[in-house]
Amino acid sequence: MDVIANLGRSSLNILRGMGAALIMLLQSIIGKPQPRKSFPLFMRQMYVVGVQSMLIILISGLFIGMVLGLQGYTILVDFGAEQALGPMVALSLLRELGPVVTALLFAGRAGSALTAEIGLMRATEQLSSLEMMAVDPLRRVVSPRFWAGFISMPMLALLFTAVGILGGYFVGVQWLGVDDGAFWSVMQASVDWRDDVMNGVIKSLVFAFVVTWIALYKGYTAEPTSEGISAATTSTVVTGSLAVLGFDFVLTAIMFS
Amino acid sequence: MYDQKGCTVDNLVELKDVYFNRGNTVIYEGVNLQVPRGKITAIMGPSGCGKTTMLRLIGGQLKPRSGSVDFAGHQVPELSRGELYELRKRMSMLFQSGALFTDMSVSDNVAFPILEHTKLPREIVDTIVKMKLQAVGLRGAGGLQPDELSGGMARRAALARAIALDPELIMYDEPFTGQDPISMGMIVKLIRSLNQTLGLTSIIVSHDIHETMGIADHVAIIANKQVVAQGPPQALLDHESALVRQFLNGEPDGPVPFHYQANNYLDDLMARGG
Amino acid sequence: METRKIEILVGVFVAATIVALVFLALRVASNTDITRGSSYTLSASFDNIGGLKVRSPVKIGGVTVGRVTNIYLEGDYYEPVVEMQISTTYDQIPETSTVSVLTSGLLGEQYLGIEPGFIDEGIMMLENGDRFMNSNSAMVLEELIGQFLFSQGDN
Ligand SMILES: Nc1ncnc2c1ncn2[C@@H]1O[C@H](COP(=O)(O)OP(=O)(O)O)[C@@H](O)[C@H]1O
Ligand SMILES: [Mg+2]
Repeated sequence: MDVIANLGRSSLNILRGMGAALIMLLQSIIGKPQPRKSFPLFMRQMYVVGVQSMLIILISGLFIGMVLGLQGYTILVDFGAEQALGPMVALSLLRELGPVVTALLFAGRAGSALTAEIGLMRATEQLSSLEMMAVDPLRRVVSPRFWAGFISMPMLALLFTAVGILGGYFVGVQWLGVDDGAFWSVMQASVDWRDDVMNGVIKSLVFAFVVTWIALYKGYTAEPTSEGISAATTSTVVTGSLAVLGFDFVLTAIMFS
Repeated sequence: MYDQKGCTVDNLVELKDVYFNRGNTVIYEGVNLQVPRGKITAIMGPSGCGKTTMLRLIGGQLKPRSGSVDFAGHQVPELSRGELYELRKRMSMLFQSGALFTDMSVSDNVAFPILEHTKLPREIVDTIVKMKLQAVGLRGAGGLQPDELSGGMARRAALARAIALDPELIMYDEPFTGQDPISMGMIVKLIRSLNQTLGLTSIIVSHDIHETMGIADHVAIIANKQVVAQGPPQALLDHESALVRQFLNGEPDGPVPFHYQANNYLDDLMARGG
Repeated sequence: METRKIEILVGVFVAATIVALVFLALRVASNTDITRGSSYTLSASFDNIGGLKVRSPVKIGGVTVGRVTNIYLEGDYYEPVVEMQISTTYDQIPETSTVSVLTSGLLGEQYLGIEPGFIDEGIMMLENGDRFMNSNSAMVLEELIGQFLFSQGDN
């Protein structure tokens, strides 16, 4: 009986948490836009969330593309099919690795920072202080961060993918000697703009939404103590990553089957 | 108490019969409080008795379970969100930690509420900021970041921000805690001079009896989930309640016992030995 | 100054993303999808389509002119029928043409090859919804080997 009661209670808690998170999100993004006030805030967050994540994304993308080139070549060369290296690298990056790895790195790099920053603002009473100054912290603090995360993660995923394909090209063509023309033309023949590129972008939009939302909610509801903030930060990375992998499975099943 | 003595007192804030819970913990059971306009009111009581909670009730950040919280004729708990935000432009709060925005310079912190709520041109805003910083003695520190300030300076900068929009009511949450004697003296002087020159109504939450009793016109003492006494400082010093006297004189033992509830000391020791 | 630096760096970020997008569009994906513009539909029936799939290319002399859009079985004998979209740029395919399931390379992907037929008086051009009269099915390796062995036995 206890087990069932516990199960019921924790499901209710999860539902309540999701409801609260939904309300927080709606309150922060709904309302009449004030472009003159919000745009500079948004730009600043694009810098913090997007620009500052660029380096890690570019480097990881390059290395993952190079590894794909190397691994793909050693597998394909056995079948005499090293011509297929181009599509293999491009498709795995466009459909899976670009959106997923970017989202995981984003959760670790930008998501945890967002949680810690907002948690710290709560702990140092900056959020309360905004409220007492008749400024809505959801509109002022949460909203620009949400939009910046939602927009910059797909951009980062595109950069990751493009750099990854170049990495695969350097290893496959320049180093291992796959034919240059074949690499690109076979790739072009099998990569479709809508099915592969656009579906990848849609995936990363979904991931961006989920990861940013989780990070902001965890920060906003963090216990205002140092333990509370560090627990919230960890929880952002764990929950965010699991959510990305779960959604990836669902989206892949819908898109590519 | 002194509004019952027949003086006509004009109260800016009035709490009547307020009940408040945090989850299952009862914080207030029937609290009554008057804050006279234009005066300095002190709210005192031991840590955790709910002094900050009182300020949050007045500011509408928390809602009481029952009872009325009146600010200048408005029932704070019944206001809509928009009305509440409108009302908050007339009050400001100096948080315990100062709560300066860490991503802005001191000047920008002070300019923030002005830029948010007025359409004044930037030059005028800058002038106002300089005046406010001058009032707290930090005009030279406008370009610094909050993490470059000492604790006392941070609190004064936050004070400059709190008075940026010339509010009617300013609430200080433990302004003296953790300050060295010099900055403590500065803050006491500031609170008093702001109150006089700007005609502000001030509420100070504190447990520093000496400083607070020195500047307050009206004192309320919270204990046992209620306001146990309120009145002018002199009247409270020889209050009939032993609890009030214990608190104001800082006696270690009295109605609030030195020892946490325990069984008999000797029995306890013997039980260990046997 | 601070704001200016932020704006410039965000600008760089956006520009880099646009470059990546253009790279993906022009270099990586098949940018000239032949059926993107206006197109018309033809169909053909086969005995066996082998490994042909929806989205497989349709080519004339190695040049892609369209894509397979639908594959289904028809009639009592379950005959495979392939529908394809052809760009209206190539709308002069005579009804005498032959369509075959071909393979690019020994193990490569399969595609439809159209061999244009002769044009004469009374020969019509294929129009939207028409069906090819002549078709060659896919060569299935097992059958080829079987035929080869059979003909060896004859000799
Ligand atoms: N966010 C909260 N959730 C639950 N309990 C709280 C919260 N904030 C304060 N409390 C409790 O309410 C009581 C009063 O708190 P507070 O008003 O901050 O006291 P203080 O008089 O020290 O300012 C304390 O016992 C505290 O434990
Ligand atoms: Mg407190």
